[in-house]
Amino acid sequence: MNIAQQIVNGLVLGSGYACVALGWTILLGVARLVNFAHGQLYMLGAFVTWYAIAKAGLPYPFAILAAILVLAIIGVVMQSAMMRLVMTQNLTSLMIVTLGFGYMLQGGSALIFGGNPQTLPGTLSRAKVDLGALWFTWQDVLVFVITLALYAAVWLFTRKTRFGSVIRAVAEDPKLAELFGINARIVYLLVFVFECAAVALGAALVAPRSPILTSMGFNEVIMTFVVVVLGGIGSIGGALIAGLGLGLFIAFFGAFVAQAYTTAAAFALLLVLLVIRPEGLATK
Amino acid sequence: MSKTIRLAIALFFGLAVSAAAQDIKVGTIFPLSGGAGPDGQSVTNAVKLMVEEINSKGGLLGRKLVLVSKDDESTPAVGVSRANEMIAEKADVVVEGWNSPVTLAMQPILARAGILDITAVSKSDLILSGESNPLAIRINSSNGFDAAVIAKYVADTLKAKKVAFLTQNDVYGNGFQTAVEAEFKKLNFAGQIVTTEKFAFKDTDFRVQLTNLKTLNPDAIIVTNSSNSSGLPALVDQYRQADLKSAFVGAVGIMLPTVFKVAGDANNGIVSADIYFADLPPFNGIAESNAFVAAFKKAYGVAPDKSAALGAAALQVWAHAVETTKSLDRKAVAEAIRGKTIKGTLFGDATFLPNGQLQPRYVVFKVVDGKTAKLEALP
Amino acid sequence: MTAIDRHRVNGPAPWRAVGIVALTVAAFFLPRLFGGTSVAYSTLTTIAIFAVMCYGIDIVLSYLGEVSLGHTLFWAMGGYAAANLSVKYGLNGWTTALATIVLCLVAAAFLGAVTLRTREFVFSLVTYAAAIVAYEVAFNWDAIGGSDGIVGISALKLPFGFATFSGATQEELWPIALALLLLTLLFIARFRRSRLGTAALMVQMNPALAASLGIDPRKVRLAVFVISAPITGLAGWLYAYQRAYVGPDMFETYFLVMMLTAVVLIGRRILLGPLIGTAVLIVQQNLLSLGGDWNKIVLGAVLALVLILFPAGLVGLFRRLGMRRFPTKELKGETS
Repeated sequence: MNIAQQIVNGLVLGSGYACVALGWTILLGVARLVNFAHGQLYMLGAFVTWYAIAKAGLPYPFAILAAILVLAIIGVVMQSAMMRLVMTQNLTSLMIVTLGFGYMLQGGSALIFGGNPQTLPGTLSRAKVDLGALWFTWQDVLVFVITLALYAAVWLFTRKTRFGSVIRAVAEDPKLAELFGINARIVYLLVFVFECAAVALGAALVAPRSPILTSMGFNEVIMTFVVVVLGGIGSIGGALIAGLGLGLFIAFFGAFVAQAYTTAAAFALLLVLLVIRPEGLATK
Repeated sequence: MSKTIRLAIALFFGLAVSAAAQDIKVGTIFPLSGGAGPDGQSVTNAVKLMVEEINSKGGLLGRKLVLVSKDDESTPAVGVSRANEMIAEKADVVVEGWNSPVTLAMQPILARAGILDITAVSKSDLILSGESNPLAIRINSSNGFDAAVIAKYVADTLKAKKVAFLTQNDVYGNGFQTAVEAEFKKLNFAGQIVTTEKFAFKDTDFRVQLTNLKTLNPDAIIVTNSSNSSGLPALVDQYRQADLKSAFVGAVGIMLPTVFKVAGDANNGIVSADIYFADLPPFNGIAESNAFVAAFKKAYGVAPDKSAALGAAALQVWAHAVETTKSLDRKAVAEAIRGKTIKGTLFGDATFLPNGQLQPRYVVFKVVDGKTAKLEALP
Repeated sequence: MTAIDRHRVNGPAPWRAVGIVALTVAAFFLPRLFGGTSVAYSTLTTIAIFAVMCYGIDIVLSYLGEVSLGHTLFWAMGGYAAANLSVKYGLNGWTTALATIVLCLVAAAFLGAVTLRTREFVFSLVTYAAAIVAYEVAFNWDAIGGSDGIVGISALKLPFGFATFSGATQEELWPIALALLLLTLLFIARFRRSRLGTAALMVQMNPALAASLGIDPRKVRLAVFVISAPITGLAGWLYAYQRAYVGPDMFETYFLVMMLTAVVLIGRRILLGPLIGTAVLIVQQNLLSLGGDWNKIVLGAVLALVLILFPAGLVGLFRRLGMRRFPTKELKGETS
């Protein structure tokens, strides 16, 4: 029974990781843009959802939409500011700029939403499911289902639609794509906005598990980093498998070894992988 | 009259006049922003209240108290900067400390500058080890004393046969667990420690550990989690969701107001202990405590919690020692506190060990109604 | 031999050397100028230490053009080496400094070698991951300090054979901090003119030219990264003695963001840039603090906006304004 429950735990954790990692891996794959504001965007998405439910009285689905909308707008603003650097592919400056934006978002959110912990009522995180000896919540089910659906949708989009191939072209070689008349600017903008929207969705789904604080962000998304690199940068299927796999790894490592060292173990694993198998990470 | 005597008299009067005109600076360094911001704000408010109360009664040594409060942002490097600012502003005493690493970083700085440093909340044992500050004073209880109370409850009252630990993996959590295990030995505890599960301070998902614990089904689980704003309320919630039947025994002092506010009636049935309650005996029988509670409610709209009481007590203890020694000298005041008893504080008689630790009085309680934080004191 | 070559062969003008000596002496007496209080000494010592910390990342960022997000690792290594070796074994300052340098070189060599074949941004990610792993290790390994760290680090002792220089107070530590800063500046000035420095610059500015000259960009990156590590490491080493306390907080992003902002604020590849940037940031934090939240907003905004609007830093901004005011005047730009 223990093993079965740990598998459930692992899938729950893993689908959360995968959900939050989707936007990041696409952004990294297409624009080679490391968004260090990801954690603060997650926090902001959670707080906008909370505000919508607790202060504006919106029902949960509308709150999710509100979070997506707000973060998408922030994404437009951020990307427009960074556009010149993105077009010149000035990656080092971009990394530092997103770090700066992250700091701004953190300070700003603390001023707007305050320092007190908040919970998100009106979600399914309290609705328990008991399946024999196993337990999980309807929220967990929601996260799992939506994550799979989202991944499927994005995968189909990039493989089967014309815009999907445009994105892949820009990811391959932006200069060449421009020669073919593709407006790389718009592509970058849309990909960044997608990342913000995706992390907003992830936050709205996963954050209700525990109280939210404006000081959070780093820890919540640190696993994203591992998921994206493990799964292969830019690989959608890879991110899903890596996310779920990492969740299961954490559950079993925690169950049989020591939960307190899971972060260290995950990152050590990451370093080892980067050393012995840098495919997708090797120089062109 | 010789020239020297005239000079001495002039200096004396000059000093007396300037001393009366000079205010006494009380400094506080607590986190006022970030995750611990609301907690630090509450402690600072309590100190502020005490300062106002003392001023309304005529001040200290005939001088007015002035409060200078600074934000350490829970970052040791920032705390060090703030400590340096206190030195530059010539503070006469500094009440500080929510996060242990910040306290440990600030102690040597303040000690070197000869400023009396009273630690209100930080729990590390290193604070009183004497290396950073030979004249350290701490108001909050230490792990050693805490462990005795919890061990006694689990061994003698609960008479648990199987005990498990759910411990925060840092010096604080591990230290508390080690101390409890030592106390168990002292009490010749007949029960068995079946397992230890650990987690990181920042963790908010405890399913994996709770699943392990549920399989073993101990009589009691001793939980040590100081993340009162996110981790602990989440843990309480998930504990109930996982439907664990084991008794939830919380380490001393972890059940702070935010835990009740966030986890609500998931808290029902939790047993823990703490060193101050505004409305439980013996504290509701102490005049100073009731006065403090009333004033705090009037000024800030809520009853003071343990952390606020610690801040207020720190100032009270210092003020009494200053009055007794008629001096602001760091060594004199510290020695009037360490190893001595200060009467008339909101803790009643505050007795300090020679190493600067305030001897706590514990109340073991059970949560009756988590939503309203209604507690029932256990004998 | 032309007049220009003769000039160079004779070395820098004697005026310049006099000027540098004068500035050094002035710098030594700076704390006294600010009142001679222990706070003046400790603030200037902190600025010096943090500036040296920044110069480590400056080498990598300004000359190589890459971001190391793991320099807090070396900063912490220096601190932990100083703390552990002096508290547990009573070793003196020279030994702990040597240990710091060796540890940093080894760690940097390992990390650099690992990223030899990866793209630049993966280099940044690897350094980031390494810092996180190191943090977890430092936090959980009680033998080297654990989550509470090491207290009671005794005063810095630098024996000189017949006498021992002791850094027990802030006043005594100041000359050491200043000396470390000057050594670092000397090193950077040398580095800029060296073969490795110019190679690094070429790799950043014109990779094609570098390749045609047979310069391997990855080996250059490794070398630059390795020599940058002990600089930040020694800053951490001195910080341990100044603060008398070392803990896992040495890994916090507080230091990383400070390092990056100080470097980009004034302008890259300006010798005194990181020093001035550090001084500005520390002064803002101590004297013009707007509260924890607003400080974060301001710091983040400075970092982001400088890179977006004034990528050449404040110096670049002044140059541009200067060019606009005097469009016909020939600007005596310094070699960048």
